[in-house]
Amino acid sequence: MPFDKPQHVISPSLWALAWKRLVASRVAMVSLGIVAAFLMLIALSASGLIAKDWARETGVNYAPPSFLGEDIEQAGQPAAPGGPISASDKPTELPIQDPLADAIADIRGEKKAPGSEAPSGESQTVDPLADVMADIRAKGTQATVAETRASTLPFGADKWGRDVLKKTIKGSETSIFVGLAAAFVATLLGTVFGAVAGYYGRWLDDFFNWFYSVFTAIPYLLLILAVAAVLQQKGTLTIILILGLTGWTGTFRLIRGEYLKHKGREYVQAADAIGASNGRRMFVHIFPNVSHVVLVQLSIYTVAFIKAEVILSFLGFGVPVDVVSWGSMLNEAQNELILGKWWQLAAAGTAMALLVTAFSLFTDELRDALDPKLK
Amino acid sequence: MYGYIIRRLWQMIPTLLGVILLVFLLFNWVGGDPAYVLAGKISSAEQIENIRRQLGVDQPYYVQLWIFVKQVLTADFGASWSTNEPVSHIMTTRLGPSLTVLIPYLILSTLVAMGLALAVAYVRGSLTDRAVMIVCTVGLSISILVYIIVFQYVFAYKLGWFPVQGWSDSFGQNLVVYGSLPIIILLVVSIAPDLRLFRTFVLDEINHDYVRTARAKGVSENRIMWVHVLRNASIPIITHVMAQVPGLLIGAFLVERFFSIPGIGREVILAVERSDFPVIKAITVYVAVATMVFTLLADLMYKAVDPRVQLK
Amino acid sequence: MEPLLSVRNLRVNFRLDEHTTFEAVKGISFDIPKNATVALVGESGSGKSVTSLSMLGLLPKENASVLPGSEIIYGGRNLAALDQTELRELRGADISMIFQEPMTSLNPVFTVGFQLTESLRLHLGLGPGAARKRAIELLAEVGIPDPEFKINAYPSQMSGGQQQRVMIAIAIACEPKLLIADEPTTALDVTIQKQILDLVAELQKKHQMSVLFITHDLAVVGDIADYLVVMRNGEIREQGPARTVFETPRDPYTKALLQCRPRLDRRPVRLPVIEDFMNGGGHTMNLAERKRGLAGSDPIILDVKNLGKNFYSREGLFGRRKFEAVKNVSFKLPKGKTLGLVGESGSGKTTVGLTLMRLHEASSGEALFEGKDILAMSPREFMDYKRRIQIIFQNPYASLNPRMIIGQILTEPMQIHGIGASAQERTELAFELLQKVGLPEVSFYKYPHEFSGGQRQRIAIARCLTLKPDILICDESVSALDVSVQAQVLNLLQDLQDEYHLSYIFISHDLAVVKYMSDEIMVMNQGAIVEIANSDDIYRHPRESYTRKLLSAIPKGWHHGA
Repeated sequence: MPFDKPQHVISPSLWALAWKRLVASRVAMVSLGIVAAFLMLIALSASGLIAKDWARETGVNYAPPSFLGEDIEQAGQPAAPGGPISASDKPTELPIQDPLADAIADIRGEKKAPGSEAPSGESQTVDPLADVMADIRAKGTQATVAETRASTLPFGADKWGRDVLKKTIKGSETSIFVGLAAAFVATLLGTVFGAVAGYYGRWLDDFFNWFYSVFTAIPYLLLILAVAAVLQQKGTLTIILILGLTGWTGTFRLIRGEYLKHKGREYVQAADAIGASNGRRMFVHIFPNVSHVVLVQLSIYTVAFIKAEVILSFLGFGVPVDVVSWGSMLNEAQNELILGKWWQLAAAGTAMALLVTAFSLFTDELRDALDPKLK
Repeated sequence: MYGYIIRRLWQMIPTLLGVILLVFLLFNWVGGDPAYVLAGKISSAEQIENIRRQLGVDQPYYVQLWIFVKQVLTADFGASWSTNEPVSHIMTTRLGPSLTVLIPYLILSTLVAMGLALAVAYVRGSLTDRAVMIVCTVGLSISILVYIIVFQYVFAYKLGWFPVQGWSDSFGQNLVVYGSLPIIILLVVSIAPDLRLFRTFVLDEINHDYVRTARAKGVSENRIMWVHVLRNASIPIITHVMAQVPGLLIGAFLVERFFSIPGIGREVILAVERSDFPVIKAITVYVAVATMVFTLLADLMYKAVDPRVQLK
Repeated sequence: MEPLLSVRNLRVNFRLDEHTTFEAVKGISFDIPKNATVALVGESGSGKSVTSLSMLGLLPKENASVLPGSEIIYGGRNLAALDQTELRELRGADISMIFQEPMTSLNPVFTVGFQLTESLRLHLGLGPGAARKRAIELLAEVGIPDPEFKINAYPSQMSGGQQQRVMIAIAIACEPKLLIADEPTTALDVTIQKQILDLVAELQKKHQMSVLFITHDLAVVGDIADYLVVMRNGEIREQGPARTVFETPRDPYTKALLQCRPRLDRRPVRLPVIEDFMNGGGHTMNLAERKRGLAGSDPIILDVKNLGKNFYSREGLFGRRKFEAVKNVSFKLPKGKTLGLVGESGSGKTTVGLTLMRLHEASSGEALFEGKDILAMSPREFMDYKRRIQIIFQNPYASLNPRMIIGQILTEPMQIHGIGASAQERTELAFELLQKVGLPEVSFYKYPHEFSGGQRQRIAIARCLTLKPDILICDESVSALDVSVQAQVLNLLQDLQDEYHLSYIFISHDLAVVKYMSDEIMVMNQGAIVEIANSDDIYRHPRESYTRKLLSAIPKGWHHGA
């Protein structure tokens, strides 16, 4: 809107005031800093500047983190969070094996993520993934064949000697990207449906409420798993769509409620009285007043979807086998832990906990800063 | 009251139809011909042909839908594609183990989280409160997988306090021996989100005018908390817990899988892994029905504890 | 005689954020004598409620603190220095309190009986049976019908007036020496207000207790106060015996409070406003009488016939329950005149206004605007008439979009209706209107949250004026404002009517304000018209008993009591 006076005399808006409150909070700034650092990291890794060669087997198998020193496989190993491992704990004696491992491997061998044998009963030792691993190893080592393997790496190496640190960065990229993208899809759907249902009411509201009741009647995880079962091809896009298309219900409920509430507010009635059209009332008048709810939903969803992606990928229903995510790392880490190789678990677990903690704290602060009650 | 219940049951019909339609679209339309799905999983061509005939794959969609509706109404989903076990048998036998873990967990977690929430709300704004909230946020941020992996490793595998996994035929043994570590893990995982949620319920109540009235009457802070506030805060808590129950059947799938508990959740994972569609379809539809029923129960409970609610 | 309670140098600080504190009460001193009613009067932000809460130590401990050196002496002890345990013994037993919102002040999930016996058992140590018996007596004493039955009722099953009676029963249960009543009638209808005031006065005499009555409305306490304390911005402006303060106020602010409120017996051309008193004596008040009333020959701009509005709620399996919010309402609005619309809550007066604007869809009837039925028009046809009927809402905090600057709020309607040839011209028009409603030009660039309630109401008025309407509906437009601000907005509305010859439909529950503003008055009750007549006539010679009941309930201030 053009004004004949310079713009700079305009007072700070509610957004500006909320931002000011946010800046004043130390927790908000620190957590925002951590989130920003993660985003920067995944931007660098996505553009191939770092962790591009995560799949290269640069260290010896299970190379320990540098700060532990190399020779820990022998006796006298230093105390580690995972607990010391005695020499008698041979992998072959592990009681935890998956009775279905071979069956599944038979059925869909090439689809299985590395090391995804989950413990669930009985005893029998098989590695159904030998050929898959060989495949991966071949891919990873194409460029660099005869290289000396490092005996330690900054944060250790996995079963095949890949650098855990680089893997974690690459895994962060996948998990955070999936979380953000799915959150965006779900929030967009929920907001549009909610706005239409709440604003127009009547049969549109009835229809979307029916839609909502159908989607919420099925527990969220069950719905995701059912969709995962049907969609046979795995891929990052698939999982984003699964999470996004099934997850809109929470935002829908909130935004519908907000629109219902604001529709009756006096400022919207006043807009009606001056002749503002439905579209104008919906988008120009109401939307800026509920957009803070959308923003908070977006960040809540991001956290929820990061967690969901990790679980799905862990189960092998998530990202494909040649993509690393926190979930697939935890999957490998589960068996490594029993061998006393705790570093992959620690790396993936810590990275995720750090990001999600920072994101959640920031969300809380954001909610407080945007809280209309404070105004 | 009866009018209300009948109206609510009546309103469930379109929702149930929607669920049936959604599941149908997913499995018959998106999922496509079972022959492709099952290729490589079932070797016998005859068996696959049998399944196709059962589902009416070569017939128009409305016939297939009608077949599915009949399956839902008669509770007969045929047999599992991979084990040939009747689906109805799978459903009934897997419910027991799930409930053995879930019911004690639900009771314990509600009581513990409620008590802690009141205690934390009592010292709201203090350093303790803030510290507990930060711990909760951090606790929430760690993947449930990490909890399970670490707890199973440390307490079962290393320290040997619990069996690593397993299940028996005796209820008592299941509950005490095999069920206890899974229950503990579920408790640890759920305490942070529940505590945070219940705390906001309690804090909402503390800021109400009636608390000021009670104070002006000379009622002690303890009594205000445990009588006046608790009674009001228990309303959203009870509804929350009730509405949670059906989802938990599935939500516990990770512990069931890790600890080899033959429950509904583990069955879902196995079925997804084996593309065992009849099992997934049956579980989805019946859990949806359970969700609807529990939502109604939660609303009726709400009415029972809150005199303000008039059900019409 | 030794006072019952003495406040000495009371100072209360509120912490707004980490760096700023706000002194809500700035060192006040006053006494509450034994067996007397003291009225503590002030507008919003005066610190009157904070003062009362600090007596019982009920201030929110997170952000409020009574500063050291403050004394609240009761029975030889300084209440400001007592710990919570000691205070608890006094609360409800020696000093008790009732609040503004009886609905939220009672615990919704416990019966009235539970909440009443709780005090009795706590302070008097009565057993369950004895407490219950006493509780029934108390309910009877405060005028609850059928107390044996009502003792088992939940608060939500009672009306607002009954809830406040229950609050009073709880407060007097242990025969306190002091009852603090914090705006106990503000949320209630005028007829209920009268009953509660009478009840408090009666109980005060009967139990020989003292009452500290906190209110924003001097008129309310005219009948019951023995002493007056007038507060503003955390300070006491004036205190003394009620007669002295009412009849010979010394402080200009007290004078302003007494004069700003419209009165039933006079109608000056302009109401006195606070500036007339505060800035020295040099005021030029125009107190000449304004002539109001219909001549009978005025041209009619809006003719409403048999207007009806029903709401439906779902019930049972397929049932709908019909609720008739407006029943068969007919009236004529003459050009340049004001039709006052009065009634208690639930009378349907607001629904009439919203239905005429088509913000609600009418269920029946017609509204002829210059001969055309605006209720039957298509939305496109109505667009042109929409501009000519505008509305000013009650809540100044909700009626402006918080995300828009005032400039956008004012130019938007002009843009929609194509008023003004260019953005430039519309901006100039907006500046003109800001000046007209008495706001500085710089307001154009500000957001609503930077303005006070009165200023926001001026902005809402300016927004209506951008469309050059013929009819302005004022829906409780001054009810949320302090008395002194209310007078300013009413004067503005009067000036605008004089200048633009606007027709007003003035909706309010406040009979004095309606009387002041209106030529003709329509009294509504439960959706129907009770009586419609010239405003002076209706106050002098009400025909219907309901109108008489309403009129007799109006607080008359001191002049009536003297």
